[in-house]
Amino acid sequence: MGIKSFLSLEDAGREELREILTLARAHAEGRVANTLAGKTVCLAFFEASTRTAVSFDLAARRCGADVISLSDKGSSISKGESLVDTVVTLDCLGADAVVLRHPAAGAAALASRYTSAPVINAGDGCGQHPTQALLDLYALSEAVGGFDRLAGRRVAVIGDVLHSRVARSVIPAFTKAGMEISLVAPRTLLPSDAGAWGLPVLPSVDYALDWGADVLYTLRLQKERMTGARVPSVGEYARFYGVSRRHLRGGTLVMHPGPVNRGVEISGDVVLDAASLIPNQVAAGIAVRSAVLTVATGAADRVAA
Amino acid sequence: MIRKNAGTNELVVRRARVLDPGAGLDGVMDVRLSDGRVSEVGDNLRGGRELEADGLHLFPGFVDVHAHWRTPGREDEETIESGSASAAAGGFTGVVMMPNTDPIVDSPVIVSGLARRIERESRVRAQISAALHVGLRGERLTEMRLLKEAGALCVSDDGLGTASAGVLRNGMMYARSAGLPLILHCEDHTLATGVVHDGVAASLAGIPGSPASAEDVATATALILAAETGATTHITHVSTTLSAALVAFFKDRADVTADTTPHHLTLTDDLVSTLEGLYRVNPPLRPDADRSGVGEALRDGVLDFVATDHAPHASEEKELPLEEAAPGFLGHETAFAALYTELVLPGKLTLARLVEAMGCAPGRWVGEGGSLAVGGPADLVLVDLSERWTVDAGTMISRSSNSPYLGRTLTGRVVGTIVGGEVVYDRTGAQLGTRG
Repeated sequence: MGIKSFLSLEDAGREELREILTLARAHAEGRVANTLAGKTVCLAFFEASTRTAVSFDLAARRCGADVISLSDKGSSISKGESLVDTVVTLDCLGADAVVLRHPAAGAAALASRYTSAPVINAGDGCGQHPTQALLDLYALSEAVGGFDRLAGRRVAVIGDVLHSRVARSVIPAFTKAGMEISLVAPRTLLPSDAGAWGLPVLPSVDYALDWGADVLYTLRLQKERMTGARVPSVGEYARFYGVSRRHLRGGTLVMHPGPVNRGVEISGDVVLDAASLIPNQVAAGIAVRSAVLTVATGAADRVAA
Repeated sequence: MIRKNAGTNELVVRRARVLDPGAGLDGVMDVRLSDGRVSEVGDNLRGGRELEADGLHLFPGFVDVHAHWRTPGREDEETIESGSASAAAGGFTGVVMMPNTDPIVDSPVIVSGLARRIERESRVRAQISAALHVGLRGERLTEMRLLKEAGALCVSDDGLGTASAGVLRNGMMYARSAGLPLILHCEDHTLATGVVHDGVAASLAGIPGSPASAEDVATATALILAAETGATTHITHVSTTLSAALVAFFKDRADVTADTTPHHLTLTDDLVSTLEGLYRVNPPLRPDADRSGVGEALRDGVLDFVATDHAPHASEEKELPLEEAAPGFLGHETAFAALYTELVLPGKLTLARLVEAMGCAPGRWVGEGGSLAVGGPADLVLVDLSERWTVDAGTMISRSSNSPYLGRTLTGRVVGTIVGGEVVYDRTGAQLGTRG
């Protein structure tokens, strides 16, 4: 496999996903090491991020890479350097991979036109967040006993689909893995043409369970959207779109990309329940991102996974 | 630079295929231009200077009532000199400049200053649209009668629209008493919260969308107020089927005309999936149903004419993610070819209607040009309908290169443009083969 960018999961193939998850498992089990020795991974974060940045940083270091971090504080980014100029600079410094977080959709695709290094989209606007979807897929496949056992399972994607880059990566990734998806959200939190995905839209978590959801995948509701024109109140949102203990029956799993608003998307007593994969999702991040960086830089050739 | 109406030289354009639906001309004939005016149309005309135009089409010069020449303020993107050269290269002999510059064209001294620079620098007949309200802030009306005295042709709220229906209504009443027509940009900003059309491509890509209602609601408001106030009102860049239908409803209830743009007639919001900042424009590119609906409205005369909304932008304002890019496309140089290629060749629009929509009708609105009638200004364009050419950033005459047609091959090319009897654009540089 040659050098490749991870900009979007919209066109990812089933075998491609399986290959990355298999490699991630090898990383998680410590069967591969130093795949990125001598390589330079640049983290360019044009938007605040804690867990994604830390996860990529750890993933790159554990594979032996040198890591350069640029964030919006105290770097050229905070001085207003443009995305294009930042990427060109990193390219000139010899970056072997550029991990990019940006507030506008399409930023990763734009960046990839200005560097020969692979660009890994670490979240761009409401567009895509490919590594989040991959780690979700990893955590879920581990929980159900393997990638091939994902097929046929039902996932309800719940909440602010409209503003969610996670949803836009999770939907194609889960679909490729053979899962069935429904959307659970008020009309104000769905894209105007949500029908373009061809997915059923359900009115509440209870309906999702009646539909047969095996997994309740909840999305973060940003604080500024909790009241006002799109959602009348936290109370009403939590009543219909929040996951609470009463929903945990018959092995239903709960997921969330984090950070969780306890009592909004998920009630506090569910977050760390046995049914919750949230800690598994975070833990999967490092192995999955190690695998992604390894594949992106073309180092996977040297890995006997 | 070019002295309009001052030429004493005579020029006979020979053997061109002349088409001017407004003047009732259609056939191979000769056109004599004298003292800046069309003096004779007929067969076997001879003159001191002759231009052999065998094989070329000759139309009345095109008129573009919607252009942003970025002067004053952003002369790095366009100037009167470069904008008018770009217009001439597209066959436009008349242009109306929009007021959303920096500073805004909202005071008589700016209008008179611009008028003097047009006199010195413009290759075509440029007219000034002043702002409808001070600073285009939608609060205080401009000194419309003084603006008119200073040389403004009309007033406009282009770029932003007028948020308050009350302010718009007063502005329309005052403009009517000042004898100024209005060019209105219809956009409701409580609905237009996104950067592209809120459709399938935006939903999938996660780009914030604005619904079609953002335009339709504001268009309805403007039309209702036009009917009520009696103001001479022009709705610019209509991009939806519903807005066109609203215009149709008000055609005999208000003094209203409307235009749409080459890009809304030829491109759709499928381009959003490229995620490229180049394709951001306002109003946004719409789905195919709107593109064809607007095309039918142009064909049927519901939409009176085409205007390009020529909007140059520096490359650093376009090489950005869609959400951060500046909205707008270059328009002058590709307008005719894009519409000829996409509408006339497939049989959706007749060549005569296109010539009317680019020349005759906007010429009537502006009050000059757009006609080959004897006695009128000698403003005309020569076109080679068989030439295929590829739109290339490197050969754009505009100072900017943000054309949505970059890389596309179009059919039909302007080869020469004449304003007031003077050649202002000559693609081959051979004085259009004039001799004598």
